Amino acid sequence: MKHSVSRRQMLATLGGLLAGLASLAAARTARGAVKKVLVTTKAPRGYDPHQHKWLMCFDVDKCIGCGLCVDACKTENHVPAGPMYFRTWIERYIIKKPEPGSGKTRGEVLVDSPNGGRDGFPPTTVPREEILKAFFVPKLCNLCEASPCTQVCPVGATFDAPDGAVLVDPNYCIGCGFCIQACPYGCRFLNPETRVAEKCTLCYHRITRGLKPACVEICPTEARIFGDLKHPVENDPIQAFIQKHRVHTLKPHLGTEPRVLYANLDKEVR
Amino acid sequence: MPPQIFRLVLLTLAIIVSYIIARYLLTPASFGQYGFYRAEALAEAATPEPVFAGRKACLECHEDIQEKLLKGEHKTIGCESCHGVGREHAQNPDVKLGKIGDSGCLRCHEDNGARPAWIKVIVVKDHYRGDKCAGCHVPHQPNEVP
Repeated sequence: MKHSVSRRQMLATLGGLLAGLASLAAARTARGAVKKVLVTTKAPRGYDPHQHKWLMCFDVDKCIGCGLCVDACKTENHVPAGPMYFRTWIERYIIKKPEPGSGKTRGEVLVDSPNGGRDGFPPTTVPREEILKAFFVPKLCNLCEASPCTQVCPVGATFDAPDGAVLVDPNYCIGCGFCIQACPYGCRFLNPETRVAEKCTLCYHRITRGLKPACVEICPTEARIFGDLKHPVENDPIQAFIQKHRVHTLKPHLGTEPRVLYANLDKEVR
Repeated sequence: MPPQIFRLVLLTLAIIVSYIIARYLLTPASFGQYGFYRAEALAEAATPEPVFAGRKACLECHEDIQEKLLKGEHKTIGCESCHGVGREHAQNPDVKLGKIGDSGCLRCHEDNGARPAWIKVIVVKDHYRGDKCAGCHVPHQPNEVP
């Protein structure tokens, strides 16, 4: 069998390949367009993630540790009931007085979070006279600008949305748990029912409808403040909060650049 | 052209074409719209119906209570914080909300060692226990005494 390819044949093959490539791209665009029309989600229309940049702030002094936010979050997002599964939770810090003459500014630091604070906090066993100070710290996804959890995902199932939310695509998550280990704030867990990683979505189904996240809606003391940096409203609570308080983030040395800001945060909080 | 080169070219082309076809079939349609992920995942995350109705829904009927509430120290508290999920009640007023017991008050007002100084707390065993909380206090107007 003799093989000889003429210049004409080679050019025709190359041209055909190029045309095929071009038509594939066009077909893909068309498929996307058709899918957009045919696949109907109940998602609210007209929400453009590029037009928003969400931010969450906490005033630690205002948190009274009632745990209503934890309960609301579980109800709103159908989070599994077990004591290990939380999208948001509250920690109680009790800092004891230092031993007299020990030369320290503070004694032992006790941190507890029974059932994430969902049922409130029982009275502490530490006698009042031994407590130097005590406070509650609400926690959730820190909305990192440089999120470690999205960097480690081997299948690209978790991502930073343009509006600042860090979301998980449950259809593509393989449940490997890398992101759970990568999150320095412990904000992710593996859902035992769906076997995919889950985390705070900022109640994405609520904020896209113009509602506040459930925890913010339910917080009785306005310890949680939620807002949009791209659309400040009149007397914007976020702007007022940042203006009024000296704000801090959790673990700033990690370079994750969280967009969850805390006012009146203590050095012991990690 | 020597035949082995021709075969190599054919093989290379076949690999490239099969890669392109596989990529075309496996890439989700909305991939790359916002970034290196499936843009439809955003719409899917926004799909579930909200559970909590939100304060605005309550105000459609209960503006009088809101007026009372705003005068007192409980003004920052949302309706559903104490009354629980109100979506069904908001859609159909015949569905009644659950009763709130004393535990609803104690969740915030029981001393547990770490509450901030500004909130009024009680130690349950030292507090008057002859009546329910609402027997002496008005939840919607905590500053008033009945």
